[in-house]
This record gives sequence, C-alpha cells and structure tokens, in this order.
Amino acid sequence: MIELQGITKVYQTGSQSLEALRGISLKIKKGEFISIMGPSGSGKSTLMNIIGCLDTPTAGEYVLDSDKVAGLTFDQLAAVRNRKIGFVFQNFNLLPYATAWENIELPMLFDGKTSRRRRERITELLNAVGLYDWRDHRPSELSGGQQQRIALARALANDPPILLADEPTGNLDSKSGEEIMAILADLWRVGRTIVMVTHNAHIAAESERTINLFDGQVLS
Amino acid sequence: MNLTLPLFFWSEYRKRRKRAALITFALFWGTLSILLLMASGQGMTTQFRVSTLGLGETLVMISGGQASVAFQGLPKGRRIRLYREDIDYLRERIPEIRRIAPESYNGWPVSADGKEINRSVHGTTAEFGLMRTQVPQMGGRFFNAGDDREGRKVAFIGWNVARDLFGQADPVGRRIIINRVPFTVVGVLMKKIQDSMYQGPDADQIYLPFTSFSMIDSQRYIDRIHIEPRRADQSKVIEARVRTLLGRKYRFDPDDRYALDVWDTIENAKEGHAIFKGVEIFLGIIGALTLLIGAVGVTNLMYAVAKERTKEIGIKLAIGARRRVIIQQFFLETVFVFAKGTFWGFITAFNIVHLIRLVPINYESFGIEAYLVRPVFSLQIFAAYMVILGALCFLAGIFPALKASRANPIESLRYE
Repeated sequence: MIELQGITKVYQTGSQSLEALRGISLKIKKGEFISIMGPSGSGKSTLMNIIGCLDTPTAGEYVLDSDKVAGLTFDQLAAVRNRKIGFVFQNFNLLPYATAWENIELPMLFDGKTSRRRRERITELLNAVGLYDWRDHRPSELSGGQQQRIALARALANDPPILLADEPTGNLDSKSGEEIMAILADLWRVGRTIVMVTHNAHIAAESERTINLFDGQVLS
Repeated sequence: MNLTLPLFFWSEYRKRRKRAALITFALFWGTLSILLLMASGQGMTTQFRVSTLGLGETLVMISGGQASVAFQGLPKGRRIRLYREDIDYLRERIPEIRRIAPESYNGWPVSADGKEINRSVHGTTAEFGLMRTQVPQMGGRFFNAGDDREGRKVAFIGWNVARDLFGQADPVGRRIIINRVPFTVVGVLMKKIQDSMYQGPDADQIYLPFTSFSMIDSQRYIDRIHIEPRRADQSKVIEARVRTLLGRKYRFDPDDRYALDVWDTIENAKEGHAIFKGVEIFLGIIGALTLLIGAVGVTNLMYAVAKERTKEIGIKLAIGARRRVIIQQFFLETVFVFAKGTFWGFITAFNIVHLIRLVPINYESFGIEAYLVRPVFSLQIFAAYMVILGALCFLAGIFPALKASRANPIESLRYE
C-alpha cells in the first residue's frame, strides 16, 4: 500500500543544507499498524509528512496504492489527503471558531458530499467517539482528550484507508491517551492501515511493528 | 449550481464578522463619502442649470449702447437707441430667431389696499413670459398677445410684490395702481431660484403688456430686446446678424462692440456649466481616490487576515482543501465584506441625500446653500460607482486569496 524507496529530504536554509531523511526505504502493507519511533530531530515528522503527502521528498520514490506520488499535482495531492489519508495531530489542529460538528464536516465539504450523507456520517462518528452531546461545542470548550477524539472523527470523515497519527497522545493525560489508543486499535482491527509517530515505547508496543529512526535513517 | 461551499464560507464569515468590522466600516465610510461627494457635485451642476433657467436658459439680450468709433460721417459718442419696430425688423430678417420680445422699464410707485411701494415696472410682450421663465402660480397667468394687442390694463407681479401689497391674500383679480393708473393682477410669479438678473430679482418686478406700459410711460425707445435662438448654438450667428442689421439701420459700425450691449446667457451658461462640471469631475476624482485608498486598505487588511489565518489554511490544506477552495473562500469573504460595507454606505448616503433635499431653499437670499441642499442621487452615479467598486473589490480580494492558496501546508501548520 505504501512503498518508500531511497527517500531523502534536504532542507536548504541559506547556504546551509540539513539532511532530514537519508535514503529511507520501507513498505507498509494494507491493514498494518506501524509505529515510528526516534529521538527529536531523527526525521519522524518529516517522514510522516511525506507519507501523508503534505511534503515532497528531495529524492527517492514514493508509491501510494500503485501511484507514484511525485507525479501528482498540488490539487491531486489534496485529493489524496482528503480521501485516502486521515491525519491526527499532536496538537489536534481543530478550527477554533468551528463547532465539533463543523470540524468533522470539513473534509466531507471539500469532497463535495451531500448534506444528507454528511449529516449521517457525522452523527455516526460522534457516536463512535462518544461526543454526540458535545457536537455544538467549540474546541476551547472541550478537554484535550475530547478534542483529540473530535480530531480522530474528522480524520475518519471520508473513511480513508490510511490513518496517520503524529504523537496522538503527546498532549493528553494517561487516561485520555489510553482512550485514543483504544480507538486506534479498534480502527486497526477493522482493517485500517495506521502509521503512528510516538516517543513512547509503551504506546509503540500497541502496534504490530516499530520502525526506529535515527539521524534520518532506519535503524531496524 | 452547488452552493454547499459558498454557504459554508458564508457561515465561516459570519463567525468572524466582528473581526472584519473595521474593514466593513472603512468600506461603509468610503461608500458614504464618495456617494455624497458625487451627489453634491451633480446637485450643484443641476442647481446651476436651474438657477440659469431662472433668467432664461437660451437667451440673447441686447440693449442700446454708445458708438465708440465715427461711422459714415457720424461722430463717435452717439447714443444708439432701440425701438419697438426693431422687433419685427429683426424677426423678419433673421430666420434663426425662435422668439423675440421688447422690454422697457421704469421705476414708479405702486399701491394696493392702502399700501404703497416703489418697484420697477416692465413693459413687454407675451413671448417674454416663455423666454424668461415667468411661470405663474396656480390660478394665475402671464399676459397674452390679446392683452398686448388690446392694451388691457393687466399686470403680472413677482411674489415679493404680492406679499408686500397683499400679504397672504391671493392677488389675482385684485387691482393695483401703477403711476396712478389702475391695473388688474392676472398672475403671480411662481417661486424660482435666479442667479443672474438686471434691475433686481424677478420676485420684485411688475410686468405689463407693452402697449399698456407705453400708455403710462413717456419713453419712446425700448431698453432691451430679448431673443431666443431656434438652437443654442445659433446665438453667435444671431448676434452678428443683429449688429449688421441694426448697424445698417442706425448707422454704426457693426464691428463696434460698444454700439450694442449684448448679454449672451448661452455663453455664460456654457462657462458656468463647464466650471460646475469641472467641480463635479474633481469631486468624482476625490471620491474615486478615496475609494482607491480604501481598497488598498482592504487589500492590506485581507493580507493581514490571510497571515493571521495561516494555521487555519494549513489545517484545511492538510485535510484535503484544494487550492481553488482557499481562493474561493478568501475571495468570497472580501466580496461579503465589500457587499456589507457598501450596502450600508449606499443606504445611509441615499437617506442623507433625501434628508438634505428636505431643507427648504431661501428664495429671498439665494446663496451657496441653494447649491448644496439639492444633492442629486442618480442611477448613473450608482452604476459608475458599482463598476469602480466591482473592479476594486476584485483586485482587493484576488491577490490575498492567491497568496493564501499558495501557502505551504507544513509551514502553515507550524505557524503560531
């Protein structure tokens, strides 16, 4: 499903260049639950961004569902992010002025789904994350755990086959973190591919496979 | 047409509309200013035209002068007098004349109801009424050709004369004594604004049929000939023909500018109209520049808004917003802001113009306020404004929208 071959990412700052990823090659099969671990600056987030089509590699080849990502336009990449990949961020990244309902609705609006389909899907997702009664609340009125559950619901709005979670429990207390991990585990069990970046070995242990990064390279 | 996204943008705009309040106010103020400026400019031009009409719009007035050069053995310094028969003489020989009327005047005591005043009394013909905008108030009339032919003792009086002699009572049908001869008032001049005059404003004058006037006045010659050309552009031709014909008749040099005194209101009106048109254009330019500055301000603010919302743009891009979605959103928000600001600016300007127009004009002391209290809110102004506004709105909206759409998702997500 996800195939990376010799992926390199170099950041150019003036005359200085920083190699964030150095020839990373890996394969992630459909339905796998992968965690990516590594110290700060090891290139975890950069790798996640490239897998999530938010960033493009300087060199190497990325094939997603048999399509070479390098050949896709900005809007085609946007369509991939909209339909194939769901993002869960460490700091939730919810729109502050929008309600829980509206935040979940956003990806479906961008996908042109009908109002009826949106309504049904949001109701289903809010019930799944146990926040239907909080649907009219804004992020500032929700706890960190609740916000992350809304962010998870938003990531699943268009029913993407891949879920990318960047430190999903990083800003949560242990109880909320466990709840989020439980949801992720459930999603994996029903066949979703999950790629998660984490610092926490305990959390990483919940995944099928762990990829360790150090200085932009895969250790194991 | 799928309105889902525009409706979504509208709902997002409504949530943040308080933040756009300053931009909305700037547009409201800009619209109000430019519309009031342009309405005032057009109002002044219109009022100038109206005040010119107070004397007569296309009028050439000729009075006798003094020969300044010797001609055909006659010395210079000779007075040139005009006579009633010159009216027919000129009418028959100059086909460009539409109307022509003589006028003589004298100052006499005028009395009625035991009150006596001194006023200028004029003798003229019925055509004078049409040429000099002598519009009667309801229930009255200007004298006609029959009155003049029969030498009827009728009078048409200005509204000040009516007030001074009769107070609030209706003077029509009442008797006035002019130079010890009784006349019947047949009409009172309707109030009008008049910026050009001789012998004072028409409000203070009394007009009699020429034949009747001649019976009480010993002066043989006339003071003035009024000519209305068939077309406004014929005034110069008429003036030249009059100088030639009367020069031949009274033996003065047709090129002697002092032999006849010619007052061409058409030329005056052209100059005045050009000045007021210039003022109107000037005000329009000031308004357009104000609006342009406003639009630059809006563009700047929209750039600031785009910057402030960098993270939001990043989130939207991350969850699959295409570039055109971001462009549409920012562009439509600019349109919403413009529409709201200009709508209220338009409504306010429209009402202010109508309120100002309620201010009564003081016909007794016609001053600058008469030009300012009749602003005109025309559809042409509004159409021109909308075209300029549309262009500015497009420019103010599209560049920040394009900039926002080119944001890098990763950098935008990291923006705090």
